Amino acid sequence: MKLSEITKVYGKGALEVPVLHGIDLTIEDGEFLAIMGPSGSGKSTLMNIIGFLDYPTSGTFELNGEKVDSAKESILARLRNEHIGFVFQQFFMLPRDNAIKNVASPLIYAGVSKRERTERAKKMLVKVGLEDRMKHLPNQLSGGQKQRVAIARALVNNPTILLADEPTGALDSKTSEQIMKLFMQLNEEGKTVIIVTHEEEIAAYAKRIITIKDGLITNDRRVKP
Amino acid sequence: MNIWESFKIALSSIWNHKVRSILTMLGIIIGVAAVIIIVAIGQGTRKQMTDELFSTDKNAIDLYYEYIPPEGEPETFWEEPELTSEDIQTLAKVPGVKAVIAINHGWGSMIRNDERGDMQITGVGAEFFSAKNIQMVEGRAFNAADIDGLNRVVLIDTIARKKFFKETENPIGEIIDLNDNPYKVVGVYESPIPEQFRNKETGEMLMPRSVISMMFGNREIEQLSVIASDPEKISETGKLAAATLTEKKGLEDGKYSTNDFEDYEKELNKMISLLTLLIGSIAGISLLVGGIGVMNIMLVSVTERTREIGLRKAIGATRKKILLQFLIEAITLTSLGGLLGIGLAAIGTIIVSQVSPIVATVSPLIVLIGVSFSALIGIIFGILPANKASKLSPIDALRYE
Repeated sequence: MKLSEITKVYGKGALEVPVLHGIDLTIEDGEFLAIMGPSGSGKSTLMNIIGFLDYPTSGTFELNGEKVDSAKESILARLRNEHIGFVFQQFFMLPRDNAIKNVASPLIYAGVSKRERTERAKKMLVKVGLEDRMKHLPNQLSGGQKQRVAIARALVNNPTILLADEPTGALDSKTSEQIMKLFMQLNEEGKTVIIVTHEEEIAAYAKRIITIKDGLITNDRRVKP
Repeated sequence: MNIWESFKIALSSIWNHKVRSILTMLGIIIGVAAVIIIVAIGQGTRKQMTDELFSTDKNAIDLYYEYIPPEGEPETFWEEPELTSEDIQTLAKVPGVKAVIAINHGWGSMIRNDERGDMQITGVGAEFFSAKNIQMVEGRAFNAADIDGLNRVVLIDTIARKKFFKETENPIGEIIDLNDNPYKVVGVYESPIPEQFRNKETGEMLMPRSVISMMFGNREIEQLSVIASDPEKISETGKLAAATLTEKKGLEDGKYSTNDFEDYEKELNKMISLLTLLIGSIAGISLLVGGIGVMNIMLVSVTERTREIGLRKAIGATRKKILLQFLIEAITLTSLGGLLGIGLAAIGTIIVSQVSPIVATVSPLIVLIGVSFSALIGIIFGILPANKASKLSPIDALRYE
């Protein structure tokens, strides 16, 4: 994944708010990357662009050598479905569906049959340690359990990149640790993990930390091999 | 994700908001039910009225005398011209005429044992039975000897038989008392008159018209009607017969004419159609209002589920799929309302049929139209909210509080 000269400007004319001022970033397969920065630094905007949720205003964005910065909306939707697994701070569960159905939901849009969806969802729930919570509804799960369901959902489509936006922001420190260990384990299994956070302790789990300030990368360091 | 998948998501979403869904559907339910009931009643009324007015005998057409006063002179006392068997002969020769029926009428007070009743008596000739296709239940019809020989014989219909005779009794050959004169019953017949016009109290009887003329002092022929060989041409045949009779009798201050049923029937159909359309369109307005209700709720639903939409987009739903999901939800909502409306209409028509003489039925065609029309309402009023949902940007939708 290669980003060069990426800028993002919100609004138009007099109300223009530049957020990203030219980001150059290359992310290799299998990396464990943390994007850090204070709020308003533009890290969420960068995450949205990396996650194909938003278009850059200018610059080029290549995925596996393919230019995707101006792809059609339907193509972005497919890229999100195939390559990105999202984990959000607020979990974002379908409140009336049980854990299996929540985990299986991306597979609906991938056109997978119902039987296979259920099977794969169950497998993922086992992987995140929720084999005894499969039929539970989101409101019957704790925050940590919800985030595990969200991670299982992010993994179910076997994406290239796991993209987590403040994944521990709504969790206590003990649960946060468990979740971060899960991310580490997934990274060791070969998954690319990108975590957006403003907490040092969380970023410390990553192998590479990027700091963003005022729309520019101010620091890019490899902390672990 | 296929349509079936979207349909299931839609159904569960409707089920999850039961009260809201039912209230939303209510407009559609009432609208569809009202339209169907009104159309069903309209059709029922038309059928009943045409049956009553025209189905007595579609093949026979009555000739009646119309007095035309000489120009400039006031209308004075007038009398119908005498009709004779010669006139019957004349009419029988008119092209297209299959048979001529000549009748007269009488009223009589009939007494047998303890039963008594006022009966309408129709005086007929021997031709009456084949021309009107009278079914004899017991005994025999009149023959030429009865007519020419002035036999004091009568035929009673099945209602009169029930009133004046026990079921085990054989009425054939029995003597009855009519206006203090004895008559012999020679047969029982099934009345050709439509059920709703029969005298259900006492029934009716037939008598040779010569006997009526003799015993009651009436004319032997009071009414002539012709039967066309081709029922399709009944109107023309009737007019030709009337004109021929007028000419043959050399009438100067009057003429014979016929009632043109076709024109009446057309006029009546037009009126009922217009009325049905009018009331139907008022009911249609309630469908429109129902549709707006659906749109309103769908808009609320889109707002409420903004984050769900955002999530679905983040995990790979395209605009098209979100649009389809909400559109199918709207269509499911209105179609379900339509189906419930049809159910309500079915109950309504049953009640109407029970409490009124109108036979209102929900036809399969109406059911089909009802469901497709409510689905159409779903599309029309669902497209705006669905489009709104599909256009939400995933970032904004996820950030929505």
